Amino acid sequence: MSDCQSLGDCDDTRIERIYEYLDGALSRQDLDDIKAHLDTCPDCAEEHDLECVIRSVVKRSCKEAAPENLKASILERIHGISTVDA
Amino acid sequence: METLTRTVEPGLHRRTGLLDLGPMNTTEHSETLAESSPAEDGLGAAVDSAPREAELDVTLESVEDRRARFERDAMQYVDQLYSAAMRMARNPSDAEDLVQEAYTKAFSAFHQYRPGTNLKAWLYRILTNTYINLYRKRQREPLQSHADQIEDWQLARAESHTSSGLRSAEAEALDHLPDSDVKSALQAIPEEFRLAVYFADVEGFAYKEISEIMNTPIGTVMSRLHRGRKMLRDMLADYAVERGFTGAAAVTGAGKEPATASIDQEKKK
Repeated sequence: MSDCQSLGDCDDTRIERIYEYLDGALSRQDLDDIKAHLDTCPDCAEEHDLECVIRSVVKRSCKEAAPENLKASILERIHGISTVDA
Repeated sequence: METLTRTVEPGLHRRTGLLDLGPMNTTEHSETLAESSPAEDGLGAAVDSAPREAELDVTLESVEDRRARFERDAMQYVDQLYSAAMRMARNPSDAEDLVQEAYTKAFSAFHQYRPGTNLKAWLYRILTNTYINLYRKRQREPLQSHADQIEDWQLARAESHTSSGLRSAEAEALDHLPDSDVKSALQAIPEEFRLAVYFADVEGFAYKEISEIMNTPIGTVMSRLHRGRKMLRDMLADYAVERGFTGAAAVTGAGKEPATASIDQEKKK
């Protein structure tokens, strides 16, 4: 992984950069740099892909539908409320 | 014939006792939001640089109009808030209560929400506050304390694997994990790490939005995300091994990397 210095000098920093990349938290320049690096570094690309899989798996698994009656009971409750400050 | 005068329903202005929102009052005055600049004024400030769309004067809005606006704009997030509440309260009945309570508070405070700013983030913040105030208080536990106990062994455990221990073969194994395993893995992570990961990875909130939702500095959000994701990887790998998925087994044999531990120690400060 010695050729990954551009992302950081240890695994941890490297992964953090990939997180930030996926989180959309980087500047245009950093974004382009990492993108270019991912195109040429199989290790980092693999790391990137794994993180994508984890996110999609978590997203998929956490999707819940609220119970049928929940929406109705919320509406019922807010119909008894005034939002006007006294 | 249309009448221009608004009829006020009897009892509509009755105090409900729900207007006392505690921490949610910070939506309008965000001094308590640590590390946010003075220009950042509460929720949704990130998208607020855009010209204020629809200069809706909420103070002139009738209760009925406000209710209609709330139903139209806020009710679409019920499923999403319920999913998040399930990651907080851990069981369907409590999650349902939590969402109902959060929506009730949100409606009572809807005049404080600035149209054009991020409504979803605003609702998530109310949900999170409601959870902390209602449930955590009930358990007589601050958000943090629980984590401190688990954190150390979990971090130690996560660090005994190299961060990059999981590889593409494992990615495929993870993809086949049943939802129940993934939820259990997430649930095993200390709360504030779990919620940060959930808000970022499932809901796609930006660091700044998460910092506002959780009322923590952005640096803390980033560190929680980093460590939370590491713990999650570790947990998921364990589940994959338990399920006998090949590939993931290699992870548990991965060697310790001293550099990783020292970095995390640094982050703790």
